[in-house]
Amino acid sequence: MNKLVTEEEIELVAKFMKIDVHDHKEYVEKVHSMIDFFNILDSAGVEDEEIIIADLPLSKLREDMHIPYEDNLIEKLKNFKGNYVRAPKMI
Amino acid sequence: MNLKISALEFIEEVKTGNISVEDFISATIDQIKNIDEKLHAFLHVNPESVEQAKKIDKKIKLGEKVGSCFGMPISIKDNICIKNSKTTCASKMLENFTAPYDATVISKLKEQDAIFVGKVNLDEFAMGLTTEFSAFGPSRNPWNTDYVPGGSSGGSAVSVSAFECVASLGSDTGGSVRNPASFCSTVGYKPTYGLISRYGLISYANSIEQIGPITRTVKDTAFLLNIISGLDPNDNTTIDSGNADFLTDIDSGIEGKKIGVIQEMIGDGIDPAVLSATNDAVSKLEGLGAICEPVSIDMVKYSVASYYTITATEAGSNLARFDNLRYGYDLPLEGYEFNSYISKARTKFGPEVIRRMILGGFVPSAGHAGKYFLKSLKVKSKLTKEVNDAFTKFDYLVAPTVPVLPFKIGEKIDDPIALFLVDINTVIANLTGIPSISVPFSISNGLPIGIQLLAKQNDDKKLLQAARALETTVQLPEVPI
Repeated sequence: MNKLVTEEEIELVAKFMKIDVHDHKEYVEKVHSMIDFFNILDSAGVEDEEIIIADLPLSKLREDMHIPYEDNLIEKLKNFKGNYVRAPKMI
Repeated sequence: MNLKISALEFIEEVKTGNISVEDFISATIDQIKNIDEKLHAFLHVNPESVEQAKKIDKKIKLGEKVGSCFGMPISIKDNICIKNSKTTCASKMLENFTAPYDATVISKLKEQDAIFVGKVNLDEFAMGLTTEFSAFGPSRNPWNTDYVPGGSSGGSAVSVSAFECVASLGSDTGGSVRNPASFCSTVGYKPTYGLISRYGLISYANSIEQIGPITRTVKDTAFLLNIISGLDPNDNTTIDSGNADFLTDIDSGIEGKKIGVIQEMIGDGIDPAVLSATNDAVSKLEGLGAICEPVSIDMVKYSVASYYTITATEAGSNLARFDNLRYGYDLPLEGYEFNSYISKARTKFGPEVIRRMILGGFVPSAGHAGKYFLKSLKVKSKLTKEVNDAFTKFDYLVAPTVPVLPFKIGEKIDDPIALFLVDINTVIANLTGIPSISVPFSISNGLPIGIQLLAKQNDDKKLLQAARALETTVQLPEVPI
């Protein structure tokens, strides 16, 4: 059967999604069967359908204001130094 | 102490002084200790609940104002934040995460003196419909512990069904409240999109998911909706329900109402026992004075594919925030480059979450978006039109909540398509934003069957009236625990 998604594609997508997947083969079969199932959409006859989007005007959004937190929130984090979150180096 | 009472009966008993909150909460905690090892509904039990009960008893004794829940024991799905309590989403990734704030639904329940007896199990990040994908092990169906309780709010439904609380809150993205409610013989409610604030619900697929109550009776659901619904400045998708009182007139009945029986939900693949129960439910609705006729909604057969494409895409985006830097499990920073650290940390996601994230990266990607994601949005739009059309002719729609009976643990876990198809009757309410409820209706071979009623957007009050009418026709055996 012609594979809709290859191991290389799974590897690439996993890399983009920042997931360290050791055995890509493990995911190929199931992801393939899921995508194969999605092909039913081809027979839905919706090519000319307009996509309805519920838009929210900016005026309806809440005011963008600082709401003070009662505790020192940074102390609840697991990696911090002073007022900064600690993270690995970006090379 | 009789724990087998509804939320409203509990309140009445406390108000009249027949029981104390402390005694009831203590008995509830004992019940959890006695049976939860077998059922695994709870991920955490609140060690302060008895102390909280004593405080409410004291307020009652002193004649002080007490909130309308009167210390009612409620369980909360572990993807809803309670300040200073663990919120794991049943994921190793969030195993040590303590929520720094309350979800809006939690604040509202606290104001009304509800007691949260614990956080309950779910499929990891609510991705699943059996609770088997919890990183902390599956919950079991109290009607037969070899069987799945449904999901993803399986812990919620089990805890209500097994008298480990009087009510629970779950979340419903594609049936995650109604499916376990059906499998465990409880009421499960998915409100109109926006009726309940999602602030503090850890997002899976924001555009369609809602928090919903799981209760023993329809009246209990209406009572909880009165407390937790309404506009919230922290969730711009919330809608104004006009201070609707969902309990008032709940016994109005359905005489003269028109009900459409969705043909695509009682066709191929339906279990004969579920079909028979559905036909029986239609007869009972007619016996209550409703007029039931068949209705066809063509897009139903494409709805599951559309649903999984849309949810995978949103999940891929929502789960990008879990980088394990600010919170998460203990993985030392040293020796890693920034991106490799995040990739390494995210191996803690379970296989179902990883599969959906890979799908969520694939279906909206360049070269594939037109075939999958955009087409799914078009199906969603056409389905919405078809459903709205149906509601020009009918007041309600009816179908079985799930087309099959509860199945054995492990039976479908390796077959994602078989699992997808279990969702076929529930996803349309999420894709179209309409309210939907599962009412316990029948027991077949010791396993529950729920009937689903649907109404048009913002007709939540009317929907509860129909559900209440159907509920009055049913007399079910007690759960064998």
